[in-house]
Amino acid sequence: MTDKEKYAVQIALVKEECKDVDEDEVAKEFERYENDFLIPPNDAVRSVILKFQKTSPKDIDSFTGTTTQVERKVDRFSELGSEDKNVTLEVAVVTYVPIVQMVRGEEKQIAFGWIEDNPWESTDKRERWDFKDWGGHSENLRPNSIVRLEGVSVNEWNDKRSININRGSRVTILREGGPAVPVLTDEPVSIEKASENEGYVNLIARIISLKPDLITKRDGSGTIDIFRGTLADSSGKISFLSWVPIENEVGDLVKIEGAMIRKFRETPEVNINDRTKIEKFHDSNFSSIEELSKVTTSRISDLRNGMKDVIVTVQVESWQSRTFTNSDGEEKIVRSGDVMDPTGRCRLTAWCEIDPKPGDFLHLNGARVQFWQGSPDLVVDESEQVQNLSEAPWDAINPENHWVEISLSDLVNGGSRRGIKTTGTIVAVKNDSGIIERCPECNRILRDGNCQDHGPQHGVEDLRLKFVVDDGINNASLILGKEPSEAFLSMTQEMVKEHISQRGKEDFIAHIRNIILARKVVIKGRSLVDNQGAMILAENVDLDTVKNENAANLVIEQWGVLL
Amino acid sequence: MGGSTVINQVRIGRQSAIRIFAQEYSDANLPLEGVGEYAPSFIITKLGAKVNRALFGGVIDRFERREGDNGPTYSGHLRDATGGVHRFQIAPFQPELHADAEELLARFESGDRFLMMMIGRARWFESDDGGIFTSFRAEEFTTVERDVYVNWLVETSAATLRRLDAYNSSLESENNNESLKSAGVPNDLIEGMILAKNHYSDFDPENYKVGVLQSLSMALSSNSEIEQMISSDVESIEPKVTENYPSENNDSKNESKPLADVDDVILNTIRNSSNTDGVPYDSIVLACVQAGFSRESSEDAIEDLRDIKCEIIEPRFGFFQILD
Repeated sequence: MTDKEKYAVQIALVKEECKDVDEDEVAKEFERYENDFLIPPNDAVRSVILKFQKTSPKDIDSFTGTTTQVERKVDRFSELGSEDKNVTLEVAVVTYVPIVQMVRGEEKQIAFGWIEDNPWESTDKRERWDFKDWGGHSENLRPNSIVRLEGVSVNEWNDKRSININRGSRVTILREGGPAVPVLTDEPVSIEKASENEGYVNLIARIISLKPDLITKRDGSGTIDIFRGTLADSSGKISFLSWVPIENEVGDLVKIEGAMIRKFRETPEVNINDRTKIEKFHDSNFSSIEELSKVTTSRISDLRNGMKDVIVTVQVESWQSRTFTNSDGEEKIVRSGDVMDPTGRCRLTAWCEIDPKPGDFLHLNGARVQFWQGSPDLVVDESEQVQNLSEAPWDAINPENHWVEISLSDLVNGGSRRGIKTTGTIVAVKNDSGIIERCPECNRILRDGNCQDHGPQHGVEDLRLKFVVDDGINNASLILGKEPSEAFLSMTQEMVKEHISQRGKEDFIAHIRNIILARKVVIKGRSLVDNQGAMILAENVDLDTVKNENAANLVIEQWGVLL
Repeated sequence: MGGSTVINQVRIGRQSAIRIFAQEYSDANLPLEGVGEYAPSFIITKLGAKVNRALFGGVIDRFERREGDNGPTYSGHLRDATGGVHRFQIAPFQPELHADAEELLARFESGDRFLMMMIGRARWFESDDGGIFTSFRAEEFTTVERDVYVNWLVETSAATLRRLDAYNSSLESENNNESLKSAGVPNDLIEGMILAKNHYSDFDPENYKVGVLQSLSMALSSNSEIEQMISSDVESIEPKVTENYPSENNDSKNESKPLADVDDVILNTIRNSSNTDGVPYDSIVLACVQAGFSRESSEDAIEDLRDIKCEIIEPRFGFFQILD
């Protein structure tokens, strides 16, 4: 957190009294009061105001300047100056994070987040700025909505500009977004509920794991002692990171007040700082660690990028080790392999010495999840985190034929997964299906013979098909690489090329459309899910062979239809 | 569910293709217009379906080209198992579809009838007196064999039954998000359900079951009904085809048709309109439908008046004036 964010509430108070002060100067002053004079910011407000009232050229300004009163209408952030006030512009709201700060002993609700200008264009044509909401506009500043802001002001700190939305600002919804971010409550919430939004929460939870850790400062000036661990209640579990020592122990039931939920990659995490209150809590009905093992143990389908302290059991499919030299010139060994459980498959990487054999069952405790080629994969750092089980937890899975069947809707609303099988109807055949050219350097697709990074290239030809698959409620893009495309079309890449050169690209697309559009297909492959939607990389696509008669009987049964 | 907690975000992604029968879609008259350039618009049906994109099918029942200033517009009907028609257009600004459309037109004009599946975007037309007509702008389409069509019938039956079930669950519930949710209305139907219940007056949802039952029995039987449907449609359509293209021997056939009453309604509608630029096609059709004529016969009569009797003209595509 920069000084300016840290002291935002106090700076605002100073600005109410001294309008034209330089915020950088004020922040510097608070930092001086806190570090040099050991006076907490809230107690320093009066002193800082007194200081700046003397030096502020406020009196002169109020006689000469009326320019700040004029409404300034802009389309883009780039048109704004650092001093602009009473600004009107239209923006898209990306995030809205409410926080509560104590100001002179009073709880004050403010919020911060991201907004983007040029909101009616695609995101690559937008610029993103931070904003602070001092005026309690949570009802109108909903994530994913587009709003018109009137009477907002520009704020500059370290050459970085942001928007202040003030109490007197007007926010008009131009396009509805998601639900309003709920106003903070003092009541403790369940972990499941707390995980839904970023912001401050109170929790009652059991400490499942706890260990000290170090964070190396980015500027290399040293390390910070922190604590990491996991909290759980009957609704789920969540990792936490504490900047202050935790005096409780694993197994303790605690009440945590004023913790901050932040997202680390795709995973929400509890942040605990010196303003957070943690105390032991007594409730004999609260689930014990053993009873919580259901929510604390993960399956492969539950894994999300950024998860820590993962407990999971896997069956090893293959195992290799590889030696490489790292940037410091040290020789290192990394071991990795493919692993499975009944819900799917993923990779496991070990930075420690473990050498399981294919077919072994491993119980991992304290693994973390990282993205590898778009899929969440398990990482273990110490061999103590791995236990080779002598007893099989399930009937051995045959890796040759391990496809976990899930509905398209579950796939779209879940995380990225490998080894899945799903069904849907093709509702679009993309025109860029067919022969494409890839950059020989980076494998990226060439546009008009040019690579985004490597300029004009003599491309390498490749075959791929792009569709949209849809079940009537959700949809995903579906991509077939060369092998699955050839298998699906019963045509080699050469034959496709021949077809296109003789009869044209449009004829080829029409040909595919005739085969697959509006047809139900069964897809095996892996899914990549992010904020943009879901994508399936298929290893195999087949037309569905379920007989209409059987499908009809299923519908009749499901809905109790009397014919 | 070991920690499968992900922060929920609303995605503004591609709209899914709603499976919907012609009956439900053409009964709908509640548009929900998106605000802003890229915000999707929807048609809300009585059962609460929120349709921006749909997957629909049927036998091609009408298909024609109209030349306009910017190029050709194709429009047609697909008739499905509910007996209703899905109306669709291919616009001048969709040249990528025109080649396929021409091919279809040639087949259609030769008297061939066939099953088609189409993905379309919801559009609607509002007449002067506030009537709403729903149709689709074609996005992609293909002719299909019977199996594929029947598969759609089964899927669309399931989707319709799901909406009927949601509608019935909503009857005892208050019309708000929380209540509908706890009454068991699926998430994707809640918003549409709230809007539908605020807009439409009471209706008998059992009507929508007829098409479902028909579709399911088709899937279970030898499919002879579908073949029948195709052949009977060919017969009923044949005269219309010649009507639309009157340059070759037209008189005797059309004058024998007793369309006088419809003609009066059409002519009066145009005469009484204050709209000097011409009266929109759909509001003429609406007037006829309200006067008790079927949509099909009204549409035939308009073309008849324009092409054969030459009492009205279409100076601008879709807008009609009296020829003085």
